[in-house]
Amino acid sequence: MPIEIPKDKWPGSIKIVTIGATSAEGGTRTKSISVGGQASMPYLHYEAPMPNKPVIAIEIKSRKPDDWSPLLVEAWGETMAEPAQWAKKADEAGADIIVVALTLADSPEDAVRVVKSVLSATGLPLIVWGPGQVEKDNELLVPVSEATNGEKIVLGICEDKNYRTIVATAMANGHLVQARTPMDVNLSKQLNILISDMGMPKERILMDPTTGALGYGIEYGYSVMERLRLAALQGDAMTQLPMIVTPGYETWKTKESKIGEGVPEGWGDWKARAINWETLTAIALVESGADIVVLRHPESVKRVKGAIEELVTV
Amino acid sequence: MYIIGENIHIISEKVKEALAARDREFFIDLAVKQVEAGAKAVDINLGPRKKDFAEVWPWIIETVETVVDVPLSIDTTNIDGMEAALKTIKKAQPILNSTSADPDRLEKVPALAKKYGAKVIALTMRPEGIPIEADARVTIAVEQLIPRMMELDFGMENLIIDPLVLTVSGCQQYCPHLIETVRTLQYAWDPAPQISVGLSNVSNAVPNENRPLINRVYLAMLMGVGLQMMIANPFDKDQNDVIRWIETKDTSNSLASVYNKIADRIATGEEPQSEDFNMSDPEQSAIWKTTQILLNKVIYADSYLLN
Repeated sequence: MPIEIPKDKWPGSIKIVTIGATSAEGGTRTKSISVGGQASMPYLHYEAPMPNKPVIAIEIKSRKPDDWSPLLVEAWGETMAEPAQWAKKADEAGADIIVVALTLADSPEDAVRVVKSVLSATGLPLIVWGPGQVEKDNELLVPVSEATNGEKIVLGICEDKNYRTIVATAMANGHLVQARTPMDVNLSKQLNILISDMGMPKERILMDPTTGALGYGIEYGYSVMERLRLAALQGDAMTQLPMIVTPGYETWKTKESKIGEGVPEGWGDWKARAINWETLTAIALVESGADIVVLRHPESVKRVKGAIEELVTV
Repeated sequence: MYIIGENIHIISEKVKEALAARDREFFIDLAVKQVEAGAKAVDINLGPRKKDFAEVWPWIIETVETVVDVPLSIDTTNIDGMEAALKTIKKAQPILNSTSADPDRLEKVPALAKKYGAKVIALTMRPEGIPIEADARVTIAVEQLIPRMMELDFGMENLIIDPLVLTVSGCQQYCPHLIETVRTLQYAWDPAPQISVGLSNVSNAVPNENRPLINRVYLAMLMGVGLQMMIANPFDKDQNDVIRWIETKDTSNSLASVYNKIADRIATGEEPQSEDFNMSDPEQSAIWKTTQILLNKVIYADSYLLN
């Protein structure tokens, strides 16, 4: 019996956002990365082709973190002390984008030097995060933004309490912004409205709905992503933005990933478990419509890349 | 529209201060002004008053009744407070606000209403919460609230069902369901129970500048499905205009036409359409956007009017 698969035709679609500028585009990247453009729910290729596949960003820090899992230290080794080396190794590990996370210990000069060194070490597009403290974020991100004018870096992280300065400097220097809200569709849309209202084109905003790790609230994360995506497809312009999520950050703080000793034997091998945790969280989020997943372990990158290839192969 | 005036409410700082000072003039003034503004009854919510109910309720009832003759709505969760108020009332048939389908409250509050000949507001809410779906709320009314009245042999004219308005900011999916609940409840029983809602709940947690607009648009929708009673602010002139326009089918100006059109669309089970609105008029465009968030078509955000 022939079965007809019902197809939805949506009035809306996701904006295409391009990160990084090549020399022809006024920057120094060897290539730029575009995300978004979907006109259907994730991977329903028979409804609408997916113009851009999800991509993987690898997170590195401006200085060697002292609170990262020994498993990550083992994977990245000596390079962690030198952001340029670390970025290069992340590039080789298969990153599409490098996230440079600045720290509270950085001075504005340090921040500019680190970001410039990473730009020299790799041709990949960059995302730069402040340390997550309002004053310090603004103190570091503004000079970084000015020193990298035209590179189309994503600056973050904009939140409702602190977005104006970051958006203003991104607008003035041809960059993009990452807009984060705490797992709430209303707040997510509200921040997008506020940022657009400053004059930032929607093609230069990534929304970060925040997620939780597997076992730590991922359900809330993906429900919000699903609702945002449905609203976008129904035509709500203020939700038609590609989504970036941070499963690396979320999973490497869970007990299952962080702790190798004093846990039940049934939990199995620590390293296998930790990588599985990051991989499974990331793939679930990719399947929920994430356009960019930010990861930490090179083995997870390899596996998530494989999963993405399978999902986008028609 | 039968408005139960909501302004004597402990959530207001002025009310709180006046009560602490036992300021008779304040309450006399607030009660009279509400009735003058068109309120057909006056709600009194002074909080649970667990310690001083026996003194506070007789005091406030006596104070308010010296100047107004309309029914008073005794708005408290404290059953002893309700009884203290009921014993004092000398004028119009009072309203007990409220019971829910919680077994304990449903046992006590309607029995108290019957004993003193009061009306009772009953919420379509179970101890485990408020159902989203319209059908589930109607079911609570038909299977629990109405049967309790019959069990007490207490006439249906004394029952006022409140199907519970929730805020568009956070409970957006409930907003269209409430409209359908109001529509269906009128056919749920013969004779039909009265229905009342707390209108301004729809804009709880919404920035103040947008609250009246959201309240008005929701009111037009609810009048479309036949709402005839609500707890609301009788001083809201723009709201009172909307009530008058819809009740008298006045379409003599463009806003009156637009609000009537919303009510008409909802009345026939349709949704307002963009062509019903003149989008070059910012006021009409804002009303259109408000219909879309209230029908859960567009995700609510505090700045939805900029969307």
